[in-house]
Amino acid sequence: MVLAALKRHRTAALIALWSVVVLGALFALSLTSRNSAQFSRLQPWILLFSLMGVLVFAVLLARKILQLIRDYRAHVPGSRLTARTVFVFGLLVIMPLLTVYLFSLEFLNRSVDSWFRVEVRQGLNDALVLSRSALDLRLREHAVRTEEFAQRLSGMSEIESIIALDDERRASGAVELVLYGDRDRIIAASARGTLVTLPAGASAELVRQVSDGRTFVALEPVAEDQYLMRTAAPVPASRDARFVLAVYEVPRQLAALADAVQRSYSQYGDLAALREPLKYSFRLTLTLVLLVTMLAAIYGAIFSAQRLFRPVQDLMEGTRAVAKGDLGMRLPLSSRDEMGFLVQSFNDMTKRLRRAREETERSRQDAERERKRLEIILTRLSSGVIAFDAGLNLRIANDSASRILGLDLGEFAGQPLSDAAERSDRMRLFLAAIRGQFALGRNEWREQLDLQSDAGAQVLMCACVPLPDINDSDAAADPHGRSGHIVVFDEITALLQAQREAAWGEVARRLAHEIKNPLTPIQLSAERMRRRFLGSMSPEDADVLERSTHTIVQQVETMKRMVNAFSEYARSPAMQLVTFDLNALVSEVADLYRAQDPAIEIRTRLDPALAEIQADRGRVRQILNNLLTNAIEALDQVDSASIEVTTSVASEQPDSALITVTDNGAGFQRELLGRIFDPYVTTKPRGTGLGLAIVRKIVEEHGGRIEADNQAEGGARVRVTLPLVERTRPGSRELRSETRKEWA
Amino acid sequence: MNFSRIPTTLALVLLLLLPAAMLRADALDGTLEVQSAFINVNGDVYQLHARIRYPLNDEMRAALQEGISLSFSLEAVIERDRRFWFDAEIVKLTLRRELMFHALSDRYVVRDERTGEQSSHPTLEDALERVGAVDAWPVLVGSQLRGDGDYRVRVRAGVRRGRLPDALRALLFWTADWQRESEWYEWSLPR
Repeated sequence: MVLAALKRHRTAALIALWSVVVLGALFALSLTSRNSAQFSRLQPWILLFSLMGVLVFAVLLARKILQLIRDYRAHVPGSRLTARTVFVFGLLVIMPLLTVYLFSLEFLNRSVDSWFRVEVRQGLNDALVLSRSALDLRLREHAVRTEEFAQRLSGMSEIESIIALDDERRASGAVELVLYGDRDRIIAASARGTLVTLPAGASAELVRQVSDGRTFVALEPVAEDQYLMRTAAPVPASRDARFVLAVYEVPRQLAALADAVQRSYSQYGDLAALREPLKYSFRLTLTLVLLVTMLAAIYGAIFSAQRLFRPVQDLMEGTRAVAKGDLGMRLPLSSRDEMGFLVQSFNDMTKRLRRAREETERSRQDAERERKRLEIILTRLSSGVIAFDAGLNLRIANDSASRILGLDLGEFAGQPLSDAAERSDRMRLFLAAIRGQFALGRNEWREQLDLQSDAGAQVLMCACVPLPDINDSDAAADPHGRSGHIVVFDEITALLQAQREAAWGEVARRLAHEIKNPLTPIQLSAERMRRRFLGSMSPEDADVLERSTHTIVQQVETMKRMVNAFSEYARSPAMQLVTFDLNALVSEVADLYRAQDPAIEIRTRLDPALAEIQADRGRVRQILNNLLTNAIEALDQVDSASIEVTTSVASEQPDSALITVTDNGAGFQRELLGRIFDPYVTTKPRGTGLGLAIVRKIVEEHGGRIEADNQAEGGARVRVTLPLVERTRPGSRELRSETRKEWA
Repeated sequence: MNFSRIPTTLALVLLLLLPAAMLRADALDGTLEVQSAFINVNGDVYQLHARIRYPLNDEMRAALQEGISLSFSLEAVIERDRRFWFDAEIVKLTLRRELMFHALSDRYVVRDERTGEQSSHPTLEDALERVGAVDAWPVLVGSQLRGDGDYRVRVRAGVRRGRLPDALRALLFWTADWQRESEWYEWSLPR
């Protein structure tokens, strides 16, 4: 966890470490300043701390440089500017630094070398040689004298030697004269002053040299400014290897001078040994200073450049974000200088852009809401609405338009209306009517269109207006329709039908009321006339009367039938709903007609999957009767006449039964198709014209639908759709009651 | 290659090289040890005797003949053991001797810094033998010992460039090679 935290704040940790190290080094230095003797003990630590400081600094810098290189390669915004600045700045700093460094190094080397010039060393050596020569001269004198004295001692007895020693010491000015015998035994000695201590012992070196028969000479520094000269010489021809040792004191003045030379030599030696460490020390110090300065300069350059270009980086990132559509970005205001002004301007710009976009978005949402509202209105609208451009390419069509024209216009959005016309007969007629109006140069019109197709007649009430020019600011309608048109239309076929039915109902009612009433008195009067006058008249007259009254009665009967038929049309008794098998009823009626007219082939194709139907059985039978009667009458004088009655589940309404009656006759006349269910519309010479009108009335009372058209291969086709269950036809009762009311 | 590891690796390598750079050969290379040491009691005075072996090599000889001097030291510390606390330091003394080559007499001079006594020797070996021989160095008097606690004596020998003022010694900051110290030689004080 600690490691993870360290990793996260690596730079901060390094800076903290660097601070600790530097503080440590400073602390160690402060200790040495108070007590310079501590220096030698602390110097490794100071060195370590200093080097660690440099190292940590180097690591910090290396991290910065590596980061910069990575950013440069990854094309991080601002990295190129930073790198260029660091390079230039580094070059500007490093070049003079290096120059000063090299110059200083050379200067120091020369200076230090000049301090320890060869001449100084040579002078000291010469002084030393001179001093040594002076002392050597004196030494040699003493040595010669000692040798002469040793010669004189040869053959002397010990007593004589003691006297001779004393005399010689006085004569030569020696400090001490000692005669040694075998195994360094002191035979006799003479010393200046009182001899309180034993004479100086003979060193091994002295004994060895004298034993070899050579004279020993030595100069010994015994204290400051005090030298002793020791000379020893073997006593020739002595039995016990005698030798004499003479100790002389160097005159104090000479000793002081010699000592001064020796001290200078020694001090120079001490200092001269410092030459290389001194140079090394200066070189190292200079190098360290150079390194630290360079590192600090480059680090400073990187730091400053990054700090300087941070707003630029922010601006670039901000620009990219804006380019991607992110207007919510707000740049940090790091300074109040020109960069800060730039950043502030950028922030203001994005703020304004954001507001503008929000405004646009709000407007778009409003427009979208309006569009959806309009769409809903159009969808719910019972009128068909079609909008198209100047090239008659469909823009919008609502569901009602599709329903009225019997074609899903949604599929043709953006396509020419002629494409849709190829798929539907009604659409083709509709388009032709529109084109016809445009051909007359009418851009704004209101017309009733009668569309007669094989699918049946349809009457549409159309209103067409040109669309406003969407590019025009005041959005006024373009009278030339360059932006296209919108056509609103309603199917008024049923309305017209109802109007016609209402008219015919009135006619029927009046006929029943006005004509039927006088018919019975007419008939009764004619019969009474016949009964009254037939017997009293001549046979010729009686015959005339008989024929006339018969004609009257017969015609009155005919008129009664006609009036009854009207009455039947107008009458609307309560329905007797029962559940029965429609297929069985169809078979029953078909059998009846087969027997009645064997010349006509009557086929049935009944769907066994059809459920039982809830309806007024008698009236459904009347539907079948009327349809078959009509078909049979239409097949008069047709060879191999055939009728087919089929039942099935209506594919469009699975809860309805579909009864189709087709024949192979001449079919309906095209111009009558729209009014074929109207009363008194017939193509037959003997028909009342009420058969199909009654059928449609019964079908509508059941909440069903009836359509008549001609088959492509010839012959008429009537399709009756009846709901299977009574509850699936809401309003039918109301419709019936209204109808009854109307016909009452 | 992972560039981010370079600084760490570099730092480690430099840290490893640092002691190596400090351990280069110089005039004080060689054995420096306290060969033997003991204390005897003369009356009420505790006297230290020691034999120290100092480094001896041609570099040292040449340096001495060039004029430099060497300063030898023998640190003696007597401590009283304490069971529950740090040991109490009773005595801490340093004996200093100086060795230099006397170019005028061609002899090596050994000087006791405390007494000022000096002796000269014809060879460096003789001189170092003299320096390394410490006899009857009074380090303690009986009154400084109290109770019947346990006392320990530690001695350590050292050698460094002599006769350099501290300011100049600072110049050797980067070299740090003219100074050596032996391991501590330690034993219990006889009572």
